[in-house]
Amino acid sequence: MSLTRSAPPAASPEPAQRRAAKSAPKQRNWLHRFDNKRVPYLLISPFFLLFAIFGLFPIVFNGIVALRNWRLDDPTLTGWAGLANFEKLIHDEAFWNALGNTFGIFILATVPQLLIALMVANLLNRKLRGNTWWRVGVLLPYVTPVAASTLVFAVFFARDNGMANWLLSLVGFGQDTPLDWRAYKWSSWIAIATMVNWKWIGYNALLYLSAMQSIPKDVYEAAAVDGAGPWRQLWRITVPMIQPVLIFTVVLSTIGGLQLFNEPMLFEENPAAASGGSNGQWQTIAQLIYKVGWKDLNLGYAAAMSWALFVIILIVAALNALATNRLGGGRR
Amino acid sequence: MERFAKRGVALVAAGLAGSLVLAGCSGQDLEGGGSDNASQGQITLKVNFWGDMGLDKLKTQYEKDNPNVKIVLNSGEYNAQHEDLQKKLVAGTGAPDISAVDEGFIVQFRGQSDKFVNLLDKGASSYEAKYLPWKWQQSLSTDKKTQIGLGTDVGGLAMCYRSDLFKAAGLPTDRESVSKLWTTWDDFINVGKQYVDKTGKKFVDSGTNMFNPVLAQQPQGFYDESEQLQMDAGPKVAFDVAMKTIDAGLSANLASFQPNWDQGFKKDQFAVLACPAWMLGHIQTTAPNQKGKWDIATIPGGGGNWGGSWWTIPKQGKNADEAYKFVEWMVQPAQQIEVFKTVGNLPSQPALYKDPAVLEYKKEFMSNAPTGQIFASTAEGLKPQYLGKKNGPTRVAVENVITRVQQGSLKSNAAWPEAVKAAQKAATS
Repeated sequence: MSLTRSAPPAASPEPAQRRAAKSAPKQRNWLHRFDNKRVPYLLISPFFLLFAIFGLFPIVFNGIVALRNWRLDDPTLTGWAGLANFEKLIHDEAFWNALGNTFGIFILATVPQLLIALMVANLLNRKLRGNTWWRVGVLLPYVTPVAASTLVFAVFFARDNGMANWLLSLVGFGQDTPLDWRAYKWSSWIAIATMVNWKWIGYNALLYLSAMQSIPKDVYEAAAVDGAGPWRQLWRITVPMIQPVLIFTVVLSTIGGLQLFNEPMLFEENPAAASGGSNGQWQTIAQLIYKVGWKDLNLGYAAAMSWALFVIILIVAALNALATNRLGGGRR
Repeated sequence: MERFAKRGVALVAAGLAGSLVLAGCSGQDLEGGGSDNASQGQITLKVNFWGDMGLDKLKTQYEKDNPNVKIVLNSGEYNAQHEDLQKKLVAGTGAPDISAVDEGFIVQFRGQSDKFVNLLDKGASSYEAKYLPWKWQQSLSTDKKTQIGLGTDVGGLAMCYRSDLFKAAGLPTDRESVSKLWTTWDDFINVGKQYVDKTGKKFVDSGTNMFNPVLAQQPQGFYDESEQLQMDAGPKVAFDVAMKTIDAGLSANLASFQPNWDQGFKKDQFAVLACPAWMLGHIQTTAPNQKGKWDIATIPGGGGNWGGSWWTIPKQGKNADEAYKFVEWMVQPAQQIEVFKTVGNLPSQPALYKDPAVLEYKKEFMSNAPTGQIFASTAEGLKPQYLGKKNGPTRVAVENVITRVQQGSLKSNAAWPEAVKAAQKAATS
């Protein structure tokens, strides 16, 4: 260190300056232009490079695979399949069943999740004792690894000796024949939606809370003077004013909900089957893609399904964003 | 506002910390392996398998005898390990030097024999005569030109039963008398009815665990050798036994290897369990305090096999020769007997069934049952059953139909057409 510091500081800049002075106008101009026009792009390029590698490439590659025959159990069957995989998709009962399940669970999970998150955020926005404690508390389910929490829920919703059935028996249901949560569509959907809700309510509540805290207090005071109760304040002031965050959470939970995989997978009694219950009661599309790809070993068909899911998510997310925009007064 | 902004930052920070924790917990991928450490002239062999295959002692010994070789044992979950292997084969990189493959997955991998080292090229053909013929065939590619694995263990098939629960139900308890109770599956169901009447408890764990052993005993499984689905032969027989069992109210309706099932052991929810040799280890770890309460009788309907594994060498590894040397060493009689004694896995080379070390071995946990003798006799007498390409998915599909009957969402007399439909769908998927 001391060596480099003791190097003569005056000697080196001088020739450089002189050299710079010669071609100064041209080079400085160039540097300036480069700094202005190119550097910003350079600085944001890492994201786009990473996206190209981990986002764009898989999507495009997936699209190519979707148009090909690719079976792991039959290496001889290769080549272009055209739209055959997509055609098969349209006539595949399992796909439509999975689509229905995905939307069913999605609605059961998303609507209560966001509504409850809104209520929780509204509560947390008040002056509470142990403020931070509560806020960290609602985030805890989000921090828990999904595998761990889902395994706990799998036991919670067990047929024999499950806590859910114990609670039901307290209010007089199913004392003789305990409910088999995995046997029916409705019960399995509720079970899975519960896991999703449990995990994401706190996360969304915190997002809402941070948005709520940027709303000026005088708006509420004015509303209170005009006689608006807490309920009315929530819907007429809070919700419109946190609308951007609202749209953000709706889009995010749409994407998450339609890609639901971990919860249904771990809810399975035999995860190796990936069949979403004995009759596909709760098989989601993501789970079906996994089954087709890694159990039936039909990668081409699985890729076609992934693409279909991608398009469905785009459409639904756009629709939801639009609807939410309307809900909040819709200026944009 | 400033105060709130600070809070916001704190909240975001908490969120970030949360997601970091999450990433830390979920991102446990076991990468790497298969790299030879040239600077020390050392070769590292990564071996993937599941559960306990009794390799710990063997590893130490082999490393002592071959100082230039380092063995890395990587035990994982059964399904995850097979899936991981499949993904690495597709990716073309990252597979272990040696991977165990189970009977449930061998068909899938022998169909991709070009991705494995052909052990015949390494001189494995000299072992063909030493193996049970069907064991040798099952890991052979369709054109019979590529052998992807050397067999390590076979399951065999017997019936484990709880002698204490049998006693309480007024049934005989020693293995000879119990074996005599059930020569056919109908006898077995009758015994079950007696048990259920007497105790009010369930007799078997699930209908699928009746279906699978009965199917294994049939001359033909789901598919014939030209890959055609044949539901009316073997599968129908096995399905009927499963339906009879469920209708008689013998089944506790527990899915195998799941938390409920493990609890079922501890809560005496079933009294018998169709068990291959490797199941003994599972019983022992699940219900360690039931030592001496379990015993082993013969299974109704003759011999059969359930499970058993092979050692395979994925082609992408750099140390195929060293890997083969280790695999070859592991399947030698001395090592196979060592494994049998440690974890109970039954060797797949019939010569060993005559070995006194196997014949005279008594499993203390299972009331000192002569497990070597019992399982060897069932595996040796077995007729080979062809496992079709779609065997795995088809089995899952039919098992699901049986589960639906157990869940009460399907009547047993309407179940067979559903099973055929499900199997056909799996066959064409």
